[in-house]
Amino acid sequence: MIKTLQASIPQSKHKVQNTVLVFLGLVFITLVLLSASIGAYQISLKSVISILFNIVGLNLGEFTVAEANVLMGIRLPRILMGILIGGGLGLAGAALQGLFRNPLVEPGLIGVSSGGAFFAVVFIVFGASLTSITPLFSLIGLPLFAFLGGLLVTLLVYNISSYSGKTDISVLILAGVAINALMGALIGLVLFYADDAALRNFTFWSLGDLGGSNWSKLGIAAILILPALIFILRLFPQLNAMALGEREAYHMGVNIQYVKYVLFLASALIVGTAVSMSGTIGFVGLVVPHLIRLGFGADHRLVLPGSFLLGAILLSAADLLARNLVRPAELPIGIITALLGAPFFIYLIVNFKKVKY
Amino acid sequence: MLQGKNIHFCISDKPIIGDVDIKLEPGKFTVIIGPNGAGKSTLFKILSGDVACSRGEVLYNGKSIKSYSSQQLARIRAVMPQHSAVSFPFSAWEVVELGTLNAPTEIGQEEITEVMQKLQIWHLRDRAYNLLSGGEKQRVQLGRVLIQIWKKQAFPRFLLLDEPISSMDVSLQHLVLDLLNVLKKRNIGVLSVLHDLSLVANYADQVIMMKAGDVAFQGEVSAVFTSQNLEYLFGYPIKVKKYDDGLGMLVHSLPLHHINQRLIQAQ
Repeated sequence: MIKTLQASIPQSKHKVQNTVLVFLGLVFITLVLLSASIGAYQISLKSVISILFNIVGLNLGEFTVAEANVLMGIRLPRILMGILIGGGLGLAGAALQGLFRNPLVEPGLIGVSSGGAFFAVVFIVFGASLTSITPLFSLIGLPLFAFLGGLLVTLLVYNISSYSGKTDISVLILAGVAINALMGALIGLVLFYADDAALRNFTFWSLGDLGGSNWSKLGIAAILILPALIFILRLFPQLNAMALGEREAYHMGVNIQYVKYVLFLASALIVGTAVSMSGTIGFVGLVVPHLIRLGFGADHRLVLPGSFLLGAILLSAADLLARNLVRPAELPIGIITALLGAPFFIYLIVNFKKVKY
Repeated sequence: MLQGKNIHFCISDKPIIGDVDIKLEPGKFTVIIGPNGAGKSTLFKILSGDVACSRGEVLYNGKSIKSYSSQQLARIRAVMPQHSAVSFPFSAWEVVELGTLNAPTEIGQEEITEVMQKLQIWHLRDRAYNLLSGGEKQRVQLGRVLIQIWKKQAFPRFLLLDEPISSMDVSLQHLVLDLLNVLKKRNIGVLSVLHDLSLVANYADQVIMMKAGDVAFQGEVSAVFTSQNLEYLFGYPIKVKKYDDGLGMLVHSLPLHHINQRLIQAQ
């Protein structure tokens, strides 16, 4: 199916799309190298490249053991986690917007993040007894619980706001407000019963930043997020068709139920894992797909991978700022994305009336 | 052959359609007409697979519609609903191109270009769909639907259109209906809901006249398209006039005050 569609797209359009992706890729790589170099402990770009190539056994230049330890032990897992979460949130945002057929949808706004957060808190507070069973469970239990919460809220919001394949945006946003309030109250209720150790855990987690990243956390996040990314990326022809409406997509041969469930599961898996790893990072999922559409059109063949790359770029840049603005202290990354994203969202709402989608 | 056998449809136990039997033959242009609320769109949705009928069955080429996957169904029938909104800023070209999603054989730029030129929307190809006028949008949607069954195939296929020309001006309406008459010769059965009775009289092969959830009359245009049947169908005085040279029909209705005045004058 995908092969047929690609064969039918004019070559020139494909070329433009590929150029955009290559450009975003280059920006992405540059930023990753800069992030690896800049920090409380400066590592020269040359050393960064030497250390990275040294992993695969190529000797390109000299570097100190301290540099290698900082990069490999602290900075690299954090950067990779930022890429995974930023790209994941960008792509999940694009997928949810395609699913709800509305450009104002964002995991944080419609309550998916807070649903994930609530379940994560339940796990932090009540799961302590379970985690003693096996250490692996303590690592994977948190993201899985957050995934479950995110999934339940996505299904709930979809059923509240959609009728025969159409989504009412005002109902959707109101449902999001209600769910966010409910989840906030439930989180408070759970914390009421928490002991001191659990409270401390929660406080660290809810500050929401990438600071706690390490290789084992990264491994878990990758196992959960990467398959979800691939599933979503493969659905670009179906998402294009669904932009016309679920009924029309069905007429064109799209298996609507399958696409919907894959999008529900995959986006909840990404958002849930992201929330459990780094707290609630808002607005990436909203701003990123928008910027891609604004610049390069609505074709999901570009919007999906473009949103991943731009999401990774934005979150990496935000984390770079978070690490360096108030050095040697750190700002929570959620503050920076909200500071950038919230005004942009207001701008979108104001323009939503004027610009016809 | 597209068959609707013994179709019933209820919404919360209230019958919308009761016992409809229709046949749609490939190579024929069949039109559904009838007053508002007669069940035309409901029947249309049942035939296209959007909703399942409460009783009875829909058969595509002898097989129940339920036995087809959505992908298989997309290869033997294309559907144009009354209204379609596009939620993201796609261009007209991109919307038409969406119709190639499940094409059984590869459809290239040439076919899309051909369809867009035939529908006179080629010049709109880079324009944002949502900024087009109503009639332009309708032609773009029609282009998307036509491209889905554009390539010739060995098996019979069907084209279902719900008021496809309602926003178009008169010359474009003729352009589209003309194109449908060409298309049906590719072993395609065309079914359309239309409201302009003169156009129906001159372009359709078969007519299904629906009233209150039932088929009141159906058959060849020449047989069932009479003043009497139409007046019964719509509950309004309608005249059908055949041109003297036998080419074409004119269906017209006058305002009631003209009719009344004429009656008074006759007395």
